[in-house]
Amino acid sequence: MIEIFLTPFHYDYMLRAIWVSALIGGTCGFLSSFVTLKGWSLMGDALSHAVVPGVAVAYILGLPFALGAFVAGLLAAGTMAFIKARSRIREDATIGIVFTAYFALGLLLISLFPARVDLKVILLGNILGISDPDIEQVIAISAVTLLVLGLKWKDLMLFCFDSSQARTLGLRPALLHIILLSLLAATAVAALQAVGACLVVAMLVTPGATAYLLTDRFGKMLWLSSGMGVATSLVGAYASYYFNGATGGCIVTLQTLVFLAAFVFAPKHGLLASKRRARSAEIAPSP
Amino acid sequence: MTDFFEPLQHGFMRDAMLVGTMVATMCAVLSCFLILKGWSLMGDAISHAVLPGIVLAYIVGLPLSIGAFVAGLFCAVSTGFIKQHSRIKEDTVMGVVFTGLFAFGLVLFSRTPSDMHLDHILVGNILGITRSQVWQTLGLGGVVLAVTLALRRDLLLICFDPGQARVMALPDRFLNYLLLGLLSLAIVVSLQAVGIILVVAMLVTPGSIAHLWTDRFDRMLLVAVVAAVSSTLTGIFISYHIDGSTGACIVLVQASLFVVSLLFAPKYGILRGALSKNAAAVLKRHANH
Repeated sequence: MIEIFLTPFHYDYMLRAIWVSALIGGTCGFLSSFVTLKGWSLMGDALSHAVVPGVAVAYILGLPFALGAFVAGLLAAGTMAFIKARSRIREDATIGIVFTAYFALGLLLISLFPARVDLKVILLGNILGISDPDIEQVIAISAVTLLVLGLKWKDLMLFCFDSSQARTLGLRPALLHIILLSLLAATAVAALQAVGACLVVAMLVTPGATAYLLTDRFGKMLWLSSGMGVATSLVGAYASYYFNGATGGCIVTLQTLVFLAAFVFAPKHGLLASKRRARSAEIAPSP
Repeated sequence: MTDFFEPLQHGFMRDAMLVGTMVATMCAVLSCFLILKGWSLMGDAISHAVLPGIVLAYIVGLPLSIGAFVAGLFCAVSTGFIKQHSRIKEDTVMGVVFTGLFAFGLVLFSRTPSDMHLDHILVGNILGITRSQVWQTLGLGGVVLAVTLALRRDLLLICFDPGQARVMALPDRFLNYLLLGLLSLAIVVSLQAVGIILVVAMLVTPGSIAHLWTDRFDRMLLVAVVAAVSSTLTGIFISYHIDGSTGACIVLVQASLFVVSLLFAPKYGILRGALSKNAAAVLKRHANH
């Protein structure tokens, strides 16, 4: 019986997939606390789709995929900022227009060079078949992201909470904005490998949102969200052995289940807790 | 020139253009409401969320569009529920819910032996559309279009000024759900043509283009429809000639139209502002002389 559950560990590619997913999950989880706090969830979604033309060009030319993706992501962010500043179009519409246009460009390139890039790999990720150079890029991205976040987390936290307050304290919000945006683009690229363009946003949002339901202290929230990122990615990658390799689907489904559990049962901000509070408030004033 | 129109000799190309025109018109009309209401990304969320519905409907043997429609509505309703009962921001909730549903759809799909192509669901396959799908698209699209246009005054009011709508005793809850329902239905109808990922472009870009050209709503509808239909037809032609992805070509033509409008639209274009500033400077210099 136990044999069945241990089979995935007999395969080298499974072991690799499991630890690489955990690394990506941890990095994304760490960042997701900042993303949810800042309200940049849809930016994460937009960037993960907008990097696709960069990935396509990089694969077609034989460059490192991370480089192309990162450049495309920053270009898209720049385009959005430009349109938002210079026109009457609302921010959410701008995000929608820009990321679909970038994604369409990527899709067109892929359809013109089908031999060089596989659409499914980009859309749904392919961590089980990840190549060594790609692993190196993921490690480099994670290391840089964790380092920057580790060193600057207090400044970034202040910026996310209240950017004008950050300015009065002598921080530079514009710089912090660009740092956070670059980290977002970089991790989106890494997460693309694990779960694919469609699900990157979950890795960048769900752990942070879950942690936000469980605690009021930001330090604790960081631990919770990164821990959740690591754990769900470990288990999800392992479970995907039994689900035809739908690694992204498994990881994100798990994350959503954890989120739902927190939404219902969280001690202070959960659905049951607030129902209880409402009931005791009803009872209290009666005598 | 005859070369350019050569694709019209193929039946599948004529079908594609017919379906494309229907989808473009319907999405363009809805997009005018969505961008005024600030629901642009609701389209994105719902379109991803339909995946588990499609797979479940396939397993049970129901028409796929019914499953997709139910899943889309479920996404919208549960987003609203979680937002109301927790302290998480709406956009975050939306991100959590739609990715959760999409992921669940992928897991289901991986366990379901089928002849469905995931690629076609994700990025559309308008050139491979079957006759019955053509009729389905035209029928459902016609219904969405007719309802939206018939109720356009009421829908416009709940988008533009919900407070006023309540004062006028419009059933605003009902109208909100109606708009959500129309949106879900439109997404289901468009999936065949442009796929899950790009349908949001059809639901955002035409309205935004029109918003740059005019302040009057009826005119906005007209501009959006013209922009969407012309870019869809052009996109289909281009994709035939370069042998590239059709959905991508449609969206890129549309995006180019948006860029042109962004620069040159008479009242709200970027260059228009710059030009009139220049003109003002010239006039001022003349006045000084």
